[in-house]
Amino acid sequence: MGATRKPLHRESLEKSLEFTTRRHFLRECRTGLGMMAMGSMLSGCDWLGSKTTTAAGPDAFDPSQPLAPRTPHRLAKARSVIYLHMAGAPSQLELFDYKPELQKLDGQACPASFLEGKKFAFIRGVPKLLGPAAGFRRHGESGLWVSELLPHFSKVVDEVSILKAVHTDQFNHAPAQLLMHCGTPRLGRPSMGSWVTYGLGSENSNLPGFIVLTSGGRNPDAGKSVWGSGFLPSVYQGVQCRSEGEPVLFLDNPAGMDRDLRKASIEAINEVNRVSHGEFGDPETLSRISQYEMAFRMQVAVPEVMDIADEPAYIHELYGTKPGGNSLANNILLARKLVEKGVRFVQIFDWGWDMHGTSSNESVDVGLRSKSATVDRAMSALLLDLKQRGLLDETLVVWGGEFGRTPMQENREGKQNPFKGRDHHGEAFCLWMAGGGIKKGFSHGETDEIGYNPVSGRVSVYDVQATILDRLGFDHERLTYDFQGRAFRLTDVHGSVIREVVA
Amino acid sequence: MSVPVRWKYGLVALLILTAFWIQSFVLFPDRVDFNTEVKPLFNKKCISCHGGVRKKSDYSLLFRHEALASGASGRPGIVPGEPENSELIRRLTLKDEEERMPYHGEPLSKEEIGLLERWVRQGAKWDRHWAYEPVRPVKVPEGFFQGLFGKRDGNDIDLFVRDKLDEQDMKPSDEADRRTLLRRVSLDLTGLPAPEGIAATFLADKRPDAYERLVDTLLSLPSYGERWTSTWLDLARYADSKGYERDGERFIWRYRDWLIKAFNADMPYDRFLTEQIAGDLVPNATDEQYIATAFHRNTMTNDEGGTENEEFRTAAVIDRVNTTWEVLMGTTFACVQCHSHPYDPFLHEEYYRFMAFFNNTRDEDTDGDYPLLHEYRGGDSLRHHRLKTWLQANVSAEEGTRIVEFLRTRQPSVNSLTADRFINSELADTKWLALRQNGSARLKGIDLSRKNRILTKMATWRKDGVLRITLDSIDGTEILRTRLTPGEWWRHVEFPIMETGGVRDVYFSYHSPTLKNPDENGAMFDWVHFTTDFPGAGREGRDSAMAWFKGLLDAKEVVTTPVMFENPGWLGRKTFVFDKGSWLAPKDEVSPGVPASLNPFPNDAPTNRLGLARWMTDRENPLTARTMVNRMWEQLFGQGLAETVEDLGTQGIPPTHRELLDHLAWKFMYEMDWSVKRLLRYMVTSSTYRQGSAADAEALRKDPYNRWLARGPRIRLSAEQIRDQALAVSGLLSPKMYGPSVMPYQPDGIWQSPYNDEAWVTSKGEDRHRRALYTHIKRTGTYPSFMSFDGSSREVCQSRRIRTNTPLQALTTLNDTVFLESARHLAFRHVSQRGTESGVAIRAMFERACGRPMDDRSRMAMERLYNEALVRFKRDGQGTCEMVGVQGAYDNPETAAMVVVANAILNLDEVLTKS
Repeated sequence: MGATRKPLHRESLEKSLEFTTRRHFLRECRTGLGMMAMGSMLSGCDWLGSKTTTAAGPDAFDPSQPLAPRTPHRLAKARSVIYLHMAGAPSQLELFDYKPELQKLDGQACPASFLEGKKFAFIRGVPKLLGPAAGFRRHGESGLWVSELLPHFSKVVDEVSILKAVHTDQFNHAPAQLLMHCGTPRLGRPSMGSWVTYGLGSENSNLPGFIVLTSGGRNPDAGKSVWGSGFLPSVYQGVQCRSEGEPVLFLDNPAGMDRDLRKASIEAINEVNRVSHGEFGDPETLSRISQYEMAFRMQVAVPEVMDIADEPAYIHELYGTKPGGNSLANNILLARKLVEKGVRFVQIFDWGWDMHGTSSNESVDVGLRSKSATVDRAMSALLLDLKQRGLLDETLVVWGGEFGRTPMQENREGKQNPFKGRDHHGEAFCLWMAGGGIKKGFSHGETDEIGYNPVSGRVSVYDVQATILDRLGFDHERLTYDFQGRAFRLTDVHGSVIREVVA
Repeated sequence: MSVPVRWKYGLVALLILTAFWIQSFVLFPDRVDFNTEVKPLFNKKCISCHGGVRKKSDYSLLFRHEALASGASGRPGIVPGEPENSELIRRLTLKDEEERMPYHGEPLSKEEIGLLERWVRQGAKWDRHWAYEPVRPVKVPEGFFQGLFGKRDGNDIDLFVRDKLDEQDMKPSDEADRRTLLRRVSLDLTGLPAPEGIAATFLADKRPDAYERLVDTLLSLPSYGERWTSTWLDLARYADSKGYERDGERFIWRYRDWLIKAFNADMPYDRFLTEQIAGDLVPNATDEQYIATAFHRNTMTNDEGGTENEEFRTAAVIDRVNTTWEVLMGTTFACVQCHSHPYDPFLHEEYYRFMAFFNNTRDEDTDGDYPLLHEYRGGDSLRHHRLKTWLQANVSAEEGTRIVEFLRTRQPSVNSLTADRFINSELADTKWLALRQNGSARLKGIDLSRKNRILTKMATWRKDGVLRITLDSIDGTEILRTRLTPGEWWRHVEFPIMETGGVRDVYFSYHSPTLKNPDENGAMFDWVHFTTDFPGAGREGRDSAMAWFKGLLDAKEVVTTPVMFENPGWLGRKTFVFDKGSWLAPKDEVSPGVPASLNPFPNDAPTNRLGLARWMTDRENPLTARTMVNRMWEQLFGQGLAETVEDLGTQGIPPTHRELLDHLAWKFMYEMDWSVKRLLRYMVTSSTYRQGSAADAEALRKDPYNRWLARGPRIRLSAEQIRDQALAVSGLLSPKMYGPSVMPYQPDGIWQSPYNDEAWVTSKGEDRHRRALYTHIKRTGTYPSFMSFDGSSREVCQSRRIRTNTPLQALTTLNDTVFLESARHLAFRHVSQRGTESGVAIRAMFERACGRPMDDRSRMAMERLYNEALVRFKRDGQGTCEMVGVQGAYDNPETAAMVVVANAILNLDEVLTKS
């Protein structure tokens, strides 16, 4: 195929063929000779009925088949999720929440009423207000305000719902990221993707159900715990696929061992394992046989799906992607490929959005401008691309950070920062959602005239989580797992679905 | 001749049993058991509204007195003996949905209501949950069946197990063959296959007690301590980094070494536990006892700029409480943090009373992880020794101790991050007090009695800065005014202060005549120690002693370990009940105490962590011994006698063999004097443990998870064992013990923490091939192969690992460098030892890895692989070289093909599994 543009209808035909073939294969496997192998392949676990598990959905959860596809509590609007997390927390005041009044107040001392009883990460004493460092215009039929920093996104704004008054009670990166993805600022709980994989299983037996892609040169502040499985079995943890080096750790055979030799070696291993099974009768041995088979298939399937070089030129044009190397845009394109292959949850983290004003690269006028350019085109392309493939309706796309930024210029340790920058702000920030049963061209929630506090439509991080689960067909209060003597859930004891933005 | 006697016993026993059985019908018709029949019904149907979390209509079924009391209706819930007058029963049978219970729910069945009626009629007896009853001796089942089959090898464990097997109509398996047993018990006790010499001795040993001798040998190997430390590290949430966002390095490996030594010395478990909880409070605590307390310094420290230190200190203290309960007392206590326990008899307030024991330690989420135990080495240890000798000869014991103890822990010192009342000053990066031009800040409530000096760790780079210290306000009595001189960043500086006495607020102020920029820091402080003159005024050699003291403050050859240190009175902390678990909502102040539903706190024990440890190790404590024996059982058999080792309470899975659990707990405390080695020896010498692990379809159908133990354990090895075994069978494993953690090969890009340039630098030489427990563990970037085999990221304690079976594990053992290196060396050893005769080498490698001779079918599979590989490598010189990884003697197709076979062998189910 190379760079030749594949007609869309051809591609969709191929996809539907592939889909039915896969279904056919599964069906065959379940009734035919492959049944035993398949059954054990899907059963990744031997945690000996660890703790009794409360039903994840109408399909009772079977601990011996942790990745078997399961149906949720009710009809799902979305089948998969792509979650784009801008780690460091992008400024809502330069991107989505237009505050002309703040411009007028630029440079003035922040009124005391905003500061009383508040604690900031770095702001001390009385900071000055900082006007928006970017211009805004209305766009699309919906007339939503979007910043000049996002020219491409402005064109797809009619596809999304923007939440403008999300709040969080954490104002440091690591705890806030954990709260956003695991429902608690502390470590040790499962992440959203783990909950979803636990609840829905996996659709593709050659790929993990929950895949994580990172860019920006660093992992998110909270580390790998933001895609950890917490107390859920580790089969549900996110698998970090890397766009440099091996896409999955230890995927490549050692130098000198080609694919045929690996095949012969796995056949020999499995032959001896069948002897062991004959001797000990341990069902785990059968499971291991299938896991080695799946590992072998993954060695082909993962590099294939992780390779964007065979995407047509117009797709690269659309996303602004360059094959080879690690970039947010490449990861966003990969996300589309992955959901197309049946991956449930793709979590993207991009590091470097923490614009405090301590240097030019970390300023809301310079740093944020260039950082925005790295995501604008690709995230907009993602919506268009999913739409043209008919996948947007069943894919929920979420974009946001862990909190917002203050309307005030940061004065770290009580001193004016050298560049335009904003401190962490949990009272109100923006996050958008699209596809997967979300209203199109809609805005929910408003903040006061300087963008400090919500005045309407205030929603919590837990509400966002409840809404995501709801679109996947879950009642967030019923997707639970027993641990430490009680039933835990993603939203802990909080959260309600944001009815205003669901279509 | 003995047979008829046994029959007689059997018949008598049968008669007696039958008599009891009949009598039980006559005397106790349908005696309702609270724990197994009533409590589960309450937990399922009632307690979510009438329990520890919610107490709807002011009525709860958690405690008996609450259940008997009147709720909002004004009528008593239960009148013992009188179901007809009990509101509880009446409410279950009403027609009106508004009145009937469960409220708006499915009504209870007739049988369930009948059961509750009978229970109330029988007096509404409220038995304590078994795990909260003290451990009492249990009668070993004997008699009829024992008489029938005769006593086999083994011990009392088998009688308990056999008793249950009989109930299930199942039969025990025969003993596993010697080689299987050898591999099983070696891996279980030492985490490694038996050393070749020990293996050969055992296999040739024809004496009847050969197995017991093997067990004793294995228990005496140093690798025993390493294996059990490896397990304990999950419980202690041990890591070589501090956790959270920055996740900087932490030096706490001395604690890991302490564990190894304690296990190898078979330190009695009660002492083992006491030293970890309160070693610092033991009179004349040794360095080792301090290091033991690092158990609870493995909590995380948050160095992210802008984070509230008190919040994360509180999180660490709460983690200590939860870990103490879960790991040492098999109780999940975390839910009591927010409200009373929904199911078990622990009150909300009791959580915080328990927390008060742990809430008076000196650690405050500082960047330096203070307090640290300092061990001086090399030249510094010499200086340290000289100073101690001089002090002994020249000053009073009290004064000498003050100096030596200060050098040991640098305590008591005030961390500058507790400062407040900032004026043109701040905590730099929310860690250190930074004073700017005319800036000031307060340290609250400092004990100045008999203090005339301060010693501080500080930094300044200005030449003309002046530090003033005043009392009670910035304009108060000046006790110090001094010029600060620049020098090495972070250094120890001492100043005389005016002696005033009393507990006072102390203000630090700074001024520099030339500092123009009001935003620039003038001086920074890490901690401040209020002290008095160096002792021994006028004595000969005092100047040298003071120089040694100063030199030791800045010692370079020093190993530090975070430890527990109890606050002196003036730094004491108060503990409050946190409303709904929020540290920002403190309510009533509480004093240290233990839950009323367990054994009483010993009368003569101090009300601190040391007393707490005595309470925990008191033989009347119902949880400590049960938890430990259950854990050891889980380690050997793959699952605990009570499967939920972390929760023996009413929400845990009830034990399959409760009597055996109690029997073991009793013996552990009263007969084995808490000796872990004796406990393990007792378990592994039972016939139950020594059974073969094969299961036929019938056995799998009856007991798929082997809960009734009709066969021996067959479970996948742990992440650590899989690595160690590969290195051991290939001959690569380094026997080196102890010391700082090492960095074996790991792929690039695992460590990616923000703001810190720490890097994984692969260790050199044998340090690449040390046992897994010496591997550097960074919480945000844990060693990948451990993680794929269900290792813990050590953020919080992990009571047990849930074993998974995934393709990522297959990829790890197939392709991870350490497994490739092991395969190469396994192959090198055998091709060089046996020439190039491939069949012999393959069989030898298999036998080495699996511990048994190779069967024909397996041999054929591996020989086929060898031949296929050989054909390829004969055509592919470069592939050959890559596969063997070295040039020279091994760079030939035969060796390369043997590496491929070795790699396959190390991936066999039988190798990854203990059979």
